[in-house]
Amino acid sequence: MATTAETFDTPVSQDYGSNSLLRLTLRRLFKQRNALIGMVILLFLVLVATFAPIIAPHSPTVDFIGVEGAEKRGDPCIYLLGCSRDKPQHIMGLDGNFRDQFSRLIFGTRVSLFIGFTTIGAAVIVGTLIGSVSGYIGGWFDNIVMRFMDVILAFPSFLLAIAIITVLGRGLQNALYAIAIVNIPVFARLVRASVLSIKEQEYVSASRALGANSFRLLFIRILPNALPPLIVQSTLSIAGAILEAAALSFLGLGAQPPTPEWGTMLGSERNQVFTAPHLVFYPGLAIMFTVLAFNLLGDGLRDALDPRLVQKGSG
Amino acid sequence: MNSRSILKLLAIFVLASMILVACGGGAATEAPAEEPAAEEPVAEEPAEEEPMEEEEPMEEEMAFEGLSVAAADCEYGGDISSIEATGEYEVTFNLCKTDPAFLAKVAFTPFGIQPEEYIASTGGTGELLEAPIGTGPYQVTEWVRGEQVIYTAYADYWGDPAPAETAVLRWQTEGAARLQELQAGTADYITNVSPDDYSVVEENSDLQLIPDLNPNVVYVGFTNTFAPYDDVAVRQAISMGIDRQRIVDNFYPGGSEVASHFTPCSIPNGCAGESWYDFDAEAANTMLDEAGFPADANGVRFTTAIYYRDVFRVYLPEPGLVAVELQTQLRENLGIEAEVVVMESGEFIAQSTDGQLDGIHLLGWGADYPHVTNFLDFHFNENNPQFGDTHPEIYEALTEGAGIADVDAAASVYETANNAIKALVPMMPLAHGANANAALATLDGAYKPPFGAAEFYKMDPGKDTLVFVQNAEPISLYCADETDGESLRPCQQVVESLLEYATDSGDTVPALATECVSNDDASVWTCTLREGVTFHDGSTFDANDVVASWAAGIDAANPFHVGNTGGFDYFSYLWGGLINAPSE
Repeated sequence: MATTAETFDTPVSQDYGSNSLLRLTLRRLFKQRNALIGMVILLFLVLVATFAPIIAPHSPTVDFIGVEGAEKRGDPCIYLLGCSRDKPQHIMGLDGNFRDQFSRLIFGTRVSLFIGFTTIGAAVIVGTLIGSVSGYIGGWFDNIVMRFMDVILAFPSFLLAIAIITVLGRGLQNALYAIAIVNIPVFARLVRASVLSIKEQEYVSASRALGANSFRLLFIRILPNALPPLIVQSTLSIAGAILEAAALSFLGLGAQPPTPEWGTMLGSERNQVFTAPHLVFYPGLAIMFTVLAFNLLGDGLRDALDPRLVQKGSG
Repeated sequence: MNSRSILKLLAIFVLASMILVACGGGAATEAPAEEPAAEEPVAEEPAEEEPMEEEEPMEEEMAFEGLSVAAADCEYGGDISSIEATGEYEVTFNLCKTDPAFLAKVAFTPFGIQPEEYIASTGGTGELLEAPIGTGPYQVTEWVRGEQVIYTAYADYWGDPAPAETAVLRWQTEGAARLQELQAGTADYITNVSPDDYSVVEENSDLQLIPDLNPNVVYVGFTNTFAPYDDVAVRQAISMGIDRQRIVDNFYPGGSEVASHFTPCSIPNGCAGESWYDFDAEAANTMLDEAGFPADANGVRFTTAIYYRDVFRVYLPEPGLVAVELQTQLRENLGIEAEVVVMESGEFIAQSTDGQLDGIHLLGWGADYPHVTNFLDFHFNENNPQFGDTHPEIYEALTEGAGIADVDAAASVYETANNAIKALVPMMPLAHGANANAALATLDGAYKPPFGAAEFYKMDPGKDTLVFVQNAEPISLYCADETDGESLRPCQQVVESLLEYATDSGDTVPALATECVSNDDASVWTCTLREGVTFHDGSTFDANDVVASWAAGIDAANPFHVGNTGGFDYFSYLWGGLINAPSE
């Protein structure tokens, strides 16, 4: 009985609050055309990544050397658009190694989304931990930790990522570490700022007066309320991370062949801009749309989560 | 007390002034003593006393005192015993052993001649790296770092004058960018057209495609100090299990061919002996089974790495694609799972040539001079660690062959060497790549010699300025200490060697020497120099300039043996080692 009473008492009121915020946010989000476009693209990308083996007509690594009609860096051939049926259909053409560009692009979606979510996921977790603890404890600890974060932020993030890769070695995995590391300070600062303001609020004091320990205060009372800006920032950062990974791969520091990574695909065929434009056009387009989707969604989320806008909307 | 110390100070001051005046005055009086120009070198001799022994002055040529550089004996292992100025216009090379490739080597750009005084005044480095002074048709006006090298025609050139008053050398790393410069008309000549762009150039009537017939080879190197490449059966199996024809057909421009031997057949004795293994994946798999590398449940026998550098080379125009293709073939034909590892160029060269790469490496070689020793001896000599432990079966034959001047007489020796290479597989030759440069159709006389670079002065753009675009910026313009083709090309316009390569073959033709003749066993070569040649700084060319230029490179104890890195690699490897090289 006691337990039911407890669950009935506190969580319901909390649930009600978070639910209404969530519902409100979603409603606001769906009202924005930009965010909606972002979400649609993103949903499409997630579906493509999930069903890549079904959508892609070929394996991303198999080559068509020796197949009749297959040309190195062959132009796109789409039967519906009048391409001769004698030729094998490759709707985005073949790359320098005679591989189906479309299939590689489809599988590349997996790689890019994976990069975006894992790196920023890791950066958010580590950054939040550092930022919240630092902000909550304050004092000299906060000072040291945040100055260290400032030092990392002082380096241009891309150069820092290259430096980290130079130490760790090339490869997708190390590129992921590098991107995650350079993103940590952003989240740490963000969370610390939120924690600093929230921890002075009355309900926190009230909770403390009721005897809540630091852990509970920080992770149950304070952090959930620091989430909105974190969500916005991480959505926007995913776009940045995907772009950074593509740039690293373009330079040959990220994903190694034959991984179908968009940046690698762009980089390895960069010399063919004039002779085989389709080989740089489609990966470039894919990167652009993915980054655009995350940016649109991020902007939409920012507006939707803005408490001032919430007030304006309800008032 | 006071007055005495003032007096002392005064005395010291006066003394110091006198010393200063004496020194300065001495220099001032010595400087005008310029007219007996030939005597100058003698006066400067003490600075180089150790390596340069003074010759007895010759009675007939009173004014001329010839320099020389000599090894104490031939024990140091190199080819050069001594180089002497035996007359004002005669230089004698005494070799430790017969060298049938002597003429071909001497014509090479790193052995260009600069004024003795200039080398001495720069100390063998500094200004020498930026502004070479030669006898060539063009002189360097300015090297704008990161942008271009500007040349002006040298009015007093001994040969045909350059048609274009100014020549500009620029660089673009990307093939597409070079081609675009040509198409836009901002370049008259570009190097290394991308294989896919051949048709673009050929179809454009404003452009001309210039085939480059420089012999080259690309190979897959194995370092036999790392498992599993310590097993010759594995090396042989890979040699058999890679479809090289498929690589050449799909990743090389037309005119390229599968390598039957390491050395291209256009080089005499290059393809003596048996041809390389035919593609036979089945036999290769059997060999791997027998060698103790069975396939696991996933069909994988072992994992390895393919190392390469992402740099356009004539022998490997599309390194990334070939590496991936090799990866595919290893997996599909042989069940070997390979990781493709692209490395930074310098690091790759250092590690591969040092035998530190634990996988296989993709590297190649372009001919420096038209002799089989340039291919085989460099790669398979006793001391080269690139492929791990060296094989006496190979290097002993090569040592023997290098001492035989007659091409036909050496054939059987090179047959033995090539067959040993096939049996022991230190590497697998892949292909001999075709290459082409391109120029505007209006560039009269545009060409590319099989050896060395195109000379700007032999091409007429029909206007005041010739613009040449190559792949990269030169490293330095003191080419005695450079090996990079992008540095040798700009040097070659300015600094001339004793001989030069013909425009259409590997033969040598006279340049600063009118002829070089040897004794019967090709161990003593005497070169007669061209008279009346002047350097860009106005000084007169004579035999001492030749000796001084060579001494700075070949003699490690020479005070001017400094250069850019101090390696003087071509002196070291084309002549079997440096005189007075510091012992390791």
